[in-house]
Amino acid sequence: MTIDMSQFYQVFFEESAEHLAAMEGLLLELDIENPDSEQLNAIFRAAHSIKGSAGTFGFTDLAETTHILENLLDRIRKQELGLRADMVDAFLESGDLLREMLEAHQGRGEVDPNAVASICARLRQLSADTPAAAPQSATTQADGAMKHEKLVDARTFDIQFVPTAVSAKGDGVSHLLEALRSLGALEILSQPASDMNNVGYWQLRLLTNAGLDDFSDQIDFIAENGAWRVVEESVVNDHNGAFGIFDDSPGAPNEDQSYGFFEPLDSAPSLVSAIAEVEAKDDGYGFFDPLPSAVESLRVVETAVGDDGDGYGFFAPLSQQVAVQPLAEEGDGFGFFEPLPPVTAPPSQVSSAVAPSAATPKPVEKKADELHTRAAKSAPAATASDSSIRVSIEKVDQLINLVGELVITQAMLLQTTAQMQESAPERLVNGLAQLERNTRDLQESVMSIRMMQISFVFSRFPRVVRDLSAKLGKQVELKTSGETTELDKGLIERIADPLTHLIRNSLDHGIELPDTRIAAGKSPVGTITLKAYHQGGNIVIEVGDDGAGLPRNKILAKARERGLPVSDQMTDQEVFLLIFEAGFSTADQVTDVSGRGVGMDVVRRNIQSMGGRVEIESMLGVGTRMTVRLPLTLAILDGMSIAVGDQTYILPLSYVVESFQPQAGDIKTLSNQARVIQVRGEYLPVVVLHELFNIKSCSNSFTQGIMVVVDADGIKAALFVDALVGQHQVVIKSLEANYRRVQGISGATIMGDGHVALILDVSAIAGMAKTSLQKVG
Amino acid sequence: MEAMNHGSGAASDDDLVPSEYLTFTLGSEEYAIDILKVQEIRGYEPPTLIANAPPFIKGVINLRGIIVPIVDLRIKFNLGKIEYTPFTVVIILNIAGRVIGAVVDSVSDVFSLTRSQIRQAPDFSGTFDTKYILGLATIDNRMMIVTDIERLMTSADMALIDSASE
Repeated sequence: MTIDMSQFYQVFFEESAEHLAAMEGLLLELDIENPDSEQLNAIFRAAHSIKGSAGTFGFTDLAETTHILENLLDRIRKQELGLRADMVDAFLESGDLLREMLEAHQGRGEVDPNAVASICARLRQLSADTPAAAPQSATTQADGAMKHEKLVDARTFDIQFVPTAVSAKGDGVSHLLEALRSLGALEILSQPASDMNNVGYWQLRLLTNAGLDDFSDQIDFIAENGAWRVVEESVVNDHNGAFGIFDDSPGAPNEDQSYGFFEPLDSAPSLVSAIAEVEAKDDGYGFFDPLPSAVESLRVVETAVGDDGDGYGFFAPLSQQVAVQPLAEEGDGFGFFEPLPPVTAPPSQVSSAVAPSAATPKPVEKKADELHTRAAKSAPAATASDSSIRVSIEKVDQLINLVGELVITQAMLLQTTAQMQESAPERLVNGLAQLERNTRDLQESVMSIRMMQISFVFSRFPRVVRDLSAKLGKQVELKTSGETTELDKGLIERIADPLTHLIRNSLDHGIELPDTRIAAGKSPVGTITLKAYHQGGNIVIEVGDDGAGLPRNKILAKARERGLPVSDQMTDQEVFLLIFEAGFSTADQVTDVSGRGVGMDVVRRNIQSMGGRVEIESMLGVGTRMTVRLPLTLAILDGMSIAVGDQTYILPLSYVVESFQPQAGDIKTLSNQARVIQVRGEYLPVVVLHELFNIKSCSNSFTQGIMVVVDADGIKAALFVDALVGQHQVVIKSLEANYRRVQGISGATIMGDGHVALILDVSAIAGMAKTSLQKVG
Repeated sequence: MEAMNHGSGAASDDDLVPSEYLTFTLGSEEYAIDILKVQEIRGYEPPTLIANAPPFIKGVINLRGIIVPIVDLRIKFNLGKIEYTPFTVVIILNIAGRVIGAVVDSVSDVFSLTRSQIRQAPDFSGTFDTKYILGLATIDNRMMIVTDIERLMTSADMALIDSASE
């Protein structure tokens, strides 16, 4: 059976990206002097999960790199190696590289093989700087064992099984015996009493050249679910019977975590070959043998651990009684073998010693199984503290659309009953009122599905600050607050880049070099604060620094140099907003970080396209604070509906300043083309909407309509409309989904009566008005 | 081997496998379009105007929560009398992942046409570019213009899609 793995790739990519992000966050938090073992474990787990799933999905490059990374992490985790700053750097770099690999697998970008090779070499180097006591890799051991295995011809297998009732009644058992005889010399050690009709406990001994694989399937087929085991007793050319010697020192270093904590055995090829053999088998399944013996348990571990993920079983004291107990306090889901009393008995003796305990296997198996699943479950739980499900964003959007429809239908019904006035039955009116409440609640909770914590974005900034401050030779501390503030996923994705830019800008231009700071009487360590909170219907994100502040005069001088229309009478706010002009930079020299003047204009444009705006406050020598205001969601908008001719348009309420009825003569013309109106001492360009949209207006003169003053990021304009209709919460629908962008229109919505109303793009309209005025002027 | 034979057999049969076409009239002309592109047929309702759009784009309507642009093919091709009555028909098309409504005079029939029944159209110049015509088909002495509606609707001169997305 082949499963098309590609359908799971997306999940793998997402999960791996999350693991990488988690790993990076933890690495940055790590106190190098005194690393918290919990954090180290968590980092290790993240790396291990990536390795496991990368291996499963066949992304060998990812798996290999993570493997090397994981080895080093493992040794640090076990305190064999001290954590050093250069290691953290190497980890972060390899994290970046892994991310690149992930993207390359998704068809975006390419990975430089040299970079991979160099980071691998660096990680190996780091892990090689160690007390030489570290044993060689288990893989080499396994290799050796494999080689050894080839030399060994005949092996003895101790086979025990309990056949199912069905196969026992039929010829199943006799077929099995025949098949086994064909492989080599078969000896029946014990079999059920003849009156039991083959049902019962069978023990066979097989001397054969064949491997376990050749017959284990047949036994599995015959045997009761899981009630079988095969132990390779020993190699015929015996190696001192050095079998099952477990050292009682856990924490013995291992190359690969998957092998649990076994001290490598110098002369136990049979043990290792047993591992190797099991490994060769399909070890993807949590296979537990009913009759544990030294080798058995070893296998249990092997299979459980080999199983990928974090699904490490909990196994405990392995004595001759073979009691398996969970190590409950070891909460992180890794298998540990407790110290074992040395089991020096030759293999046959071990199995005979174990044989009497044949009655106990079931519970042990069950327990191990249970533990295995529990451990496996704990893996996702580690990434998200509360339970959650992964749902594709399309499904959520579909749900949101449907709820939007419901709201519209509800509004339609409400309108219909309102028209019925007195004649509407009271019960209907009450029912509709309840429906309105319910739909509003439903809409709110559905919208909240799309809400994500802003920590999703914030979490990447410690890294940005760390790298950049090191590069610039500055000392910077990043303080964040309000990480739990939630906003729409669509916004989260789009706010990341502008915010990164603002932070880089603060770091590069805001925070001074340590010497300068000390000279200015400040602490050498600069602070960048990142703050998010709700205010009204907005999300406010502040990026503040305690740096040099914006030099007003320098900005003005630079603006004049560039021929921008500026004057000394401009307010600070207006002056500071100049830094958002394209190509504007006050940096004395261009660095590779910033200073080219590209970016801040993009920042503002991006934020505006999200329906948000940026403000700057700054004081020379004290610091700068940039405030980004964003709407809570992209999907719903508070709007004012206006009538122009027979058409209805929606004006986003956040832009509306005031509205009034103009008096005759209020409107003046410039060069007989552009019109302006004086509002509170300010001349504003007048945009006559019916002219803009080529609609026949109902009003013949300005006195019959209404002027709506709008403010789009500092650009004010007066829109002339026929009438104000009302205020609504509207669900924004894309016009571009089936049509194209329309100048002056940002989207569409569906009104209560089922008609489409277009939403005005106020920034564009105000911008058009301004440019037309400038042309005239 | 058998599978390959089967495959090549299907390819040669392709001309004989009929496809279904929906026919509609614009003025006196009859057009046929691939029925798989048709989502539904509905009556005309006054759409919301879009400012400064070409005259053949009547505006947008709300089709169960989706904003759908409406194109009047009669205006586009200067065919038929432009009037909107309760019997005016809008064919809702599903083209290139987009939903577009097309106003036509009437919808007449659904025909099965095999590829061999569709004849090459002669080259002529006119408002209706021949590159949107797959060919001509004749059934019961009626000539139908088999149209590549997808190509037509996604073309630049329909101005339905941003040129950037083309």
